[in-house]
Amino acid sequence: MKKNLKWKLALIIAVTGLCLFLIYPPKEKIKLGLDLKGGTHLVLQVLTDDAINVETDQMLARFEEVFKKNNISFTEATKEKPGRFFFRGIPSDQESKARDLIDQYTRDWDYSFSGDRLIFTLKPQAALYLRDQAVTQTLETIRNRIDQFGVAEPIIQRQGSDRIVVELPGVEDPERVKNLIKVTAVLEFKLVKAGPAPDEETLLREFGGQVPEDAEVVKADPRRGVQGYYLVSKVAAVTGKDLRSVRRGVDEWNNPAVHFTLTPDGAKRFEQVTGQNIGKQLAIILDGRVQSAPVIQARISDAGIIQGRFTPEEADDLVVILKAGALPAGIKYLEERTVGPTLGSDSIRQGLIAGLIAIFAVMAFMIFYYKLSGINAIVALILNEIIIFGAMAYFRATLTLPGIAGIILGIGMAVDANVLIFERIKEELVLGKNVASAIATGFSRAFSAIFDSNLTTIISAVFLFQFGTGPIKGYAVTLICSLVANLFTAVFVSRFIFEAFVPSNAKRLSI
Amino acid sequence: MRIFKKTPNIPFLKYKWFALALTLVIVTAGLINILAGKGLKLGVDFGEGTLIRVHFREPVSVSEIRKLLSDVGLGDSIIQEIGKEGREFQIRTMEKRTTTQEQEIESHQILADRVIRALQDKEDLEKLALGMLDLNNIDRNTLANLFREISPENAEELAGKIIEYRTLHGTIARWEELKKEPVNLPENIITFLQAKTFLGKMTILSRETVGPQVGKDLRKKATQAIIWSLIGMLVYIAFRFKGIEYGAAAIFTLTQDVLITLSIYSFTSREINLPIVAGMLTIVGYSINDTIVIFDRIRELQRTMKKEPLENIMNLSLNLNLSRTLITSGTVFLTILALYLFGGPVINDFAFLMLIGTVEGVYSTIFLSCPVVLFWNRYLKKKKLHK
Repeated sequence: MKKNLKWKLALIIAVTGLCLFLIYPPKEKIKLGLDLKGGTHLVLQVLTDDAINVETDQMLARFEEVFKKNNISFTEATKEKPGRFFFRGIPSDQESKARDLIDQYTRDWDYSFSGDRLIFTLKPQAALYLRDQAVTQTLETIRNRIDQFGVAEPIIQRQGSDRIVVELPGVEDPERVKNLIKVTAVLEFKLVKAGPAPDEETLLREFGGQVPEDAEVVKADPRRGVQGYYLVSKVAAVTGKDLRSVRRGVDEWNNPAVHFTLTPDGAKRFEQVTGQNIGKQLAIILDGRVQSAPVIQARISDAGIIQGRFTPEEADDLVVILKAGALPAGIKYLEERTVGPTLGSDSIRQGLIAGLIAIFAVMAFMIFYYKLSGINAIVALILNEIIIFGAMAYFRATLTLPGIAGIILGIGMAVDANVLIFERIKEELVLGKNVASAIATGFSRAFSAIFDSNLTTIISAVFLFQFGTGPIKGYAVTLICSLVANLFTAVFVSRFIFEAFVPSNAKRLSI
Repeated sequence: MRIFKKTPNIPFLKYKWFALALTLVIVTAGLINILAGKGLKLGVDFGEGTLIRVHFREPVSVSEIRKLLSDVGLGDSIIQEIGKEGREFQIRTMEKRTTTQEQEIESHQILADRVIRALQDKEDLEKLALGMLDLNNIDRNTLANLFREISPENAEELAGKIIEYRTLHGTIARWEELKKEPVNLPENIITFLQAKTFLGKMTILSRETVGPQVGKDLRKKATQAIIWSLIGMLVYIAFRFKGIEYGAAAIFTLTQDVLITLSIYSFTSREINLPIVAGMLTIVGYSINDTIVIFDRIRELQRTMKKEPLENIMNLSLNLNLSRTLITSGTVFLTILALYLFGGPVINDFAFLMLIGTVEGVYSTIFLSCPVVLFWNRYLKKKKLHK
């Protein structure tokens, strides 16, 4: 063998070996998209306005307190809209004192005196930061919940300014996960002032039809076996933030329930509230719905139980969301796709069968039409596939249905490259050239067509990758991999085979 | 072996007017159909409704399903049978644009829930209400928890076997199936299951909902990606073949590839989804490949046959490359035919589109790309030549 042929052979073996190494073991290395494997794909939007709203409420309450403490009088404190609130009627001689206080307490809010009003507006920069924080925290919380729930290889990513993409491969009960992600999970323990009553009117009868200033009306959660409306105190005794640990257990009737313990600080408050209100009801409220309202039997300090006709799964899920914490803002689903395992495995099986039939049909044709030279094309085709999957394993790209389309286009163009070369060699042979020079001319003449057509398609695929979304990207990735592989196999490997196996003085070529 | 003993001499360019007219007819018919007739059906990817695939335990007919859906006022849903045996169906709810944007995805979901509830069996619902579990829809963990009551040592294994069997077959039709290989459950386990669970009438294979916001985004991004990639090709081809006319001809050819394929596609009742967009791009890819190969031959022949008119050179190039064109498109057609016949329901629409596209791509390369270059040179470059 000629020296440069040895080098070529070494390079081909090295590339093949490297790709095989990257692919092995294929079950782990080649990631299948959800459309092939089954699973759930969710796109959700974080309602970041919620975060601004909460900040506005907190700031308003805070300055009310600060002004009162510092003897600054005002007649009205009102939230105008999220990110904007005002105080009315601050005497002009207290303005400078108010200014000093505000400067001392916050840098995130702009304020101005106009007429008899002191108007606070959230700085755009601060609003941006708050929104960003809300998305980041939501993402973390969702990740915690999913991790606790136990899903293998979940993908949780931020997309754009306020969207989160969640991909959960192989989940068999997507509804449950969806609910698990969506609940805000704000847990509050509040004293019951009245209720339960079948409607609000009956509930408020003893208060003259008005909701007392320190109370609010909360609906019961019928799924938990409680009905109607409760009037509860506005201030929570303890909240989800005071939880130290939660675990699933059973209540005294052996029904699934959730046990919790409180932090020392929370326990102190809980002890005080329960100690003073023995015989009254304490409502356990999750996301604004009363779960249960047990009567306080004795002073409780640091441990308790949440009950309410849970199924074992519901109790498990409650533990998960309480452990992971509450969402800082609400979320909304924008897109959801669930592919069950049956459909996924069907797609793979059928796709594989079809792909193999296609490849074998093409190979059979090449042998039939180009005789021994057809083997050349077959080697190139097999090598092409190995390189595609090697590259995909290396880049950790996922194989999706549109990705298969990309591979098909790749196969087509690989075959085409060989056809172009072979047809050109035939033309040269017809013109009466000897075998060696026909091969050489065939390759050099066909090269520009192969190069230009592959490169044009690569260029278009790069743009598709840059601007496209999920499936289009998947298509572009496999296509780029296979076209680059093409340039290597069709031009380099195919040429090598001819040079290595056709003697330079050959009289006939099997083509 | 050769397709043609001698290089053929077909005067392709003689038919250029006829070809242009034919293209015009197809595209016009397609456009009329798209704009005024049946129109293009946008799939769930572009924010239109919910797609549900279900698998029934026993074969049912489309009309039975339609009746069930009509009873809850959803008779206008598109119902398609997929797969064999009459057990798998695809149901598309039609959206009702009465709600605000905000509520639309929620309303899609409500519609989907209604479809599923309508299809569920009354008896199944009663059993569920009694606290029995549906073995055809239960998840692995719940089933394993159930088995802990009777045989805690191999609960996971039992659940795994049943779920794997179900995954393979879609649903479990009869209890007897579980007694046989490969599940092989002992009699006492079967009795236990029969007491605690039932075999539900159907299971949901997949369910896809895309909200209008994301749908709009996906549409916009897909369009953007395609336009940019076309521009990229135009620039590269113009650069490599030293003439804007080649780039323009290639883009013209591609545009009409897409138009013709869409036109033909619009006459079938298939939907446009993201995989279909990928298919469209693949067609464009093949067609551009074909076109470049021809242009490359023209470029080469122009160097040696400087005196010959361009039209003759083009004809010769097309003829010289004819066997290659037929072989390549033939093998590609073969590949896609395999996908179409054996690829299964998910890939079927895609393969169908590609079948149209490969045939059409050959036609457009031969009859459209070269004439465009010719016309461009003849009418737009006239002044330059006179100098």
